[in-house]
Amino acid sequence: MAESPAPARRREPGLTASRWTTVRRLVAEHPGAALGVTFIVVLVLWSLFGPLPYDPRGTDGSASREGPSGTHWFGTDGTGGDVFSRVIEAAKIDLSLALAGTAVALVIGVPLGLAASTKGKGSQRLVRGLDAFQAFPLLILALALVSLSGNQLYMVVVAIALLNIPRYMRLLRSEVLAIRESRFVEAATAMGASTPRLIFRHLLPNVWGVILVQTSLTIANSIVVLSSLSFLGVGVSAPTPSWGSMIRDGAGNMSSGEWWIATFPGLAVLLCVLAFNQLADAIGDRTARSYR
Amino acid sequence: MALSTITTRGPSRPRRASGPLKLVASRLLFLFVALFGVVTLSFLLVSVTPGDPAELIAGPVASQDQIDAIRADLGLDQSLWQQYLDYIGGLLRGDLGTSYYTNLSITSEIGNRLPATLILIALSVVFAAVVGVGVGAAGAYFRGRWPDKVGRFGTSLFQSVPDFFLALILIYVVFFVLGLAPAPTGQIGIGDVRPEKVTGFITIDALIAGEMGTFWSAVSHLFLPVLTLGLVYAAYFAKTARSTVGKALNSQQAQFARAMGLPERTVLRYAFVEARGTIVTYAGVIFAALLGGEAIVERIFAWDGIGTWALQGILRLDVPVVQGMVLVAGAITLVTYTLLDIIVGLLDPRITHG
Amino acid sequence: MSDTVLDVRGLTVDIATPDGTVNAVRGVDLHVGRGEILGVVGESGCGKSTTIKGILGLLPPNAEVGAEMIELDGYGDLLATPRKKMREVRGRRIGFVAQNPFGSLNPIYSIERQFYELQKAHGTKVGKKESREIAHAMLDGVGIVNPARVLDGYAHQLSGGMAQRVVIALATTLSPQLLIADEPTTGLDATVQAQIMDLISGLVRSEQRSMLLVTHDLGVIAQYAQRVVVMLDGEVVEHGPVMEVMVDPQHEYTRKLINSVPKREELHDVTA
Ligand SMILES: Nc1ncnc2c1ncn2[C@@H]1O[C@H](COP(=O)(O)OP(=O)(O)OP(=O)(O)O)[C@@H](O)[C@H]1O
Ligand SMILES: [Mg+2]
Repeated sequence: MAESPAPARRREPGLTASRWTTVRRLVAEHPGAALGVTFIVVLVLWSLFGPLPYDPRGTDGSASREGPSGTHWFGTDGTGGDVFSRVIEAAKIDLSLALAGTAVALVIGVPLGLAASTKGKGSQRLVRGLDAFQAFPLLILALALVSLSGNQLYMVVVAIALLNIPRYMRLLRSEVLAIRESRFVEAATAMGASTPRLIFRHLLPNVWGVILVQTSLTIANSIVVLSSLSFLGVGVSAPTPSWGSMIRDGAGNMSSGEWWIATFPGLAVLLCVLAFNQLADAIGDRTARSYR
Repeated sequence: MALSTITTRGPSRPRRASGPLKLVASRLLFLFVALFGVVTLSFLLVSVTPGDPAELIAGPVASQDQIDAIRADLGLDQSLWQQYLDYIGGLLRGDLGTSYYTNLSITSEIGNRLPATLILIALSVVFAAVVGVGVGAAGAYFRGRWPDKVGRFGTSLFQSVPDFFLALILIYVVFFVLGLAPAPTGQIGIGDVRPEKVTGFITIDALIAGEMGTFWSAVSHLFLPVLTLGLVYAAYFAKTARSTVGKALNSQQAQFARAMGLPERTVLRYAFVEARGTIVTYAGVIFAALLGGEAIVERIFAWDGIGTWALQGILRLDVPVVQGMVLVAGAITLVTYTLLDIIVGLLDPRITHG
Repeated sequence: MSDTVLDVRGLTVDIATPDGTVNAVRGVDLHVGRGEILGVVGESGCGKSTTIKGILGLLPPNAEVGAEMIELDGYGDLLATPRKKMREVRGRRIGFVAQNPFGSLNPIYSIERQFYELQKAHGTKVGKKESREIAHAMLDGVGIVNPARVLDGYAHQLSGGMAQRVVIALATTLSPQLLIADEPTTGLDATVQAQIMDLISGLVRSEQRSMLLVTHDLGVIAQYAQRVVVMLDGEVVEHGPVMEVMVDPQHEYTRKLINSVPKREELHDVTA
């Protein structure tokens, strides 16, 4: 995760040695998150720079639907493509689209949420409207958006962002309203602090934790949405490998015993989502302790 | 689709409502207004988004004249306002138009498919609530000890697994390897004959017709999809139950109950009573989210509910189908939320006895 | 029957937290005589509530309670009593009144039902109707004007003073010989505070009960308690008859405590 503009209270340790102890303690306290982050880092690095045993876009008619073995670690799919190479390669497109969607949601949702955090009637109605929006079948909405646009990739990003902007807004609003009640903001207002100063010095440092938590959750959710879309054949299209479309390719094989075609990409999705959820939990734990 | 970032607490409680009647009245008024919003949104959703259905239906080789003819046929050449009025007018007559592709009436399609989806969702929510609340409450009671640790591990695992992937894994393990469930062929087996339609719910219709074979087949075909959705959403129940029941168990009220010598099971019951509003709200929110949210799972199990139907509609840009789906999902969601608000209110004397 | 109703010696409570063990109570001695009100004072966080919870066996599993003895007259050693049996002591032999009555009462059940649950829990074989009659009498006894209406209602419909009266009625329903009150008047209006204190002390005196009264308010101690225990940081730093301690405090901390509430304390002295 990005470095936060550290709130003054928490100083960065100056010495490398003490930094190492900090890392060790973090790992010991949040083993799930540590494992998750390691998994993501390894996956990303391998997909970007690592050598792949086979061409992820290649096919091999003589070797279709072979089970996992020494030559094909995760087996091969219906067209003889190497499942392992494809799973690793798919991380590129899946993770970058999920991150892009989350980033857009973050950049739009946070300011809107801040703007909506007044106690007025209007802002209350807005929040109720957002609630109602969340009550719609979101997957159906995302699907409609992407397929109506003629399967444009940028629309996938837009759809993910649209689904998540209301969540950021709600979250920001409720946090900011809670903080506004607190004494130090009252004091700062009484002393005549300007609005931007109030936002950047008092509000943002205190909501940073929940924003990070929400971002991690949003990435996890976006990975699911994305793979759901490509599972349905919308969004990323062949020959670019994506986890969702690989699961779709292997779906029919599950009831005939060739489990590996869908299972390995499915596990990739599961582990990524688990990793970001664990990370969110860990961040939530830590920020809850340092702020409240 | 996962709800992992859900922050909605469902309907907000009315601050001041005196008496159950006023509560019900105010909720119904809101329902009416909101339904109108849903209708408008479902109209706008497809009318304003880019892409020309007429071109799509006509296919790539059609001439401009053919496209224009189709457009006129669909009423797409009229002004947006006129289209909207036509839409509302049709709606009032119970007419949601016909599918661009099959020419079947949307209203009857929904009527035929809704029961299959409703039974699937309802059973899944019940399963998820029972399992999830059990796991969550055990975790809250034994906080930090092994039931809590196991429960939390399961919770984070099932919260992270995409439902469609879990469905495939279960098909492989329970159907292919263990042979404990029938093949994913929809509500009944390929060889089974659909009982005559009375209620639309196959299980009930089979019972009415006295066809026990079909009945058991329908029940066994429900097993895997319900298990899939139930496990995924049980995780959400478990998380909420753990925190709300946990909070109630640590409340001053629980302390006082213990200090008065009430037995632990009564203290736990008090905690449940305190938490039930939240849990009921959650059940409603999840019920609503499942509507349409379970479309992929329906598709995997070849379930002929409205989820599968809507997916197909969207993928081939069948505008009336999409509109119908959004309308039904939105309306059922709103009705659910209204009922929730009323039920939660009636369960809580602080709201009804102001 | 001895003259000491509750005798606590060397009570310690160690709470395990993620950041290490907290020694919340470190060797506290208390004894409450028959018909006596023992006041416990001390600053926030000094371990008063933890002491009470330790005696009642109400601490969470991560807290370890130790003591030389916790003897309840007519019952026996509470320390040796298994957790399950402690339940019979609470409510029946020791009544408990906490601060903030709205937190204590169940918000969902009617007041009548809460009386019923209490009696059911202690195996008194009373039907709903009998339970209601008992509750009616108890509410009457704590000065509630319209008991029937209160019984049918819910906690949130009561005023703070009324709610605390209901709590007191619940706490005394099974006629416990000892009452423990943890800041029973904090959060109530000043005039109501005096009424509630009068009510509790009256109930104690009239039935030859005893009471352990925890409070921040030295004035209350001066007016109602016979003896006082001053706690600091999990330990008892001073104890003795109220008058002696007030007039001639031995410990530096007690002196500071007394000086910090000069006016009201003097006022109470005069009225007492
Ligand atoms: N569950 C717990 N975990 C950690 N520390 C605790 C816990 N419960 C109590 N303590 C510590 O024990 C000490 C005594 O707390 P206690 O609530 O008994 O104080 P008190 O005298 O009743 O204060 P007050 O007047 O505010 O009610 C406090 O310092 C508190 O930090
Ligand atoms: Mg206390």
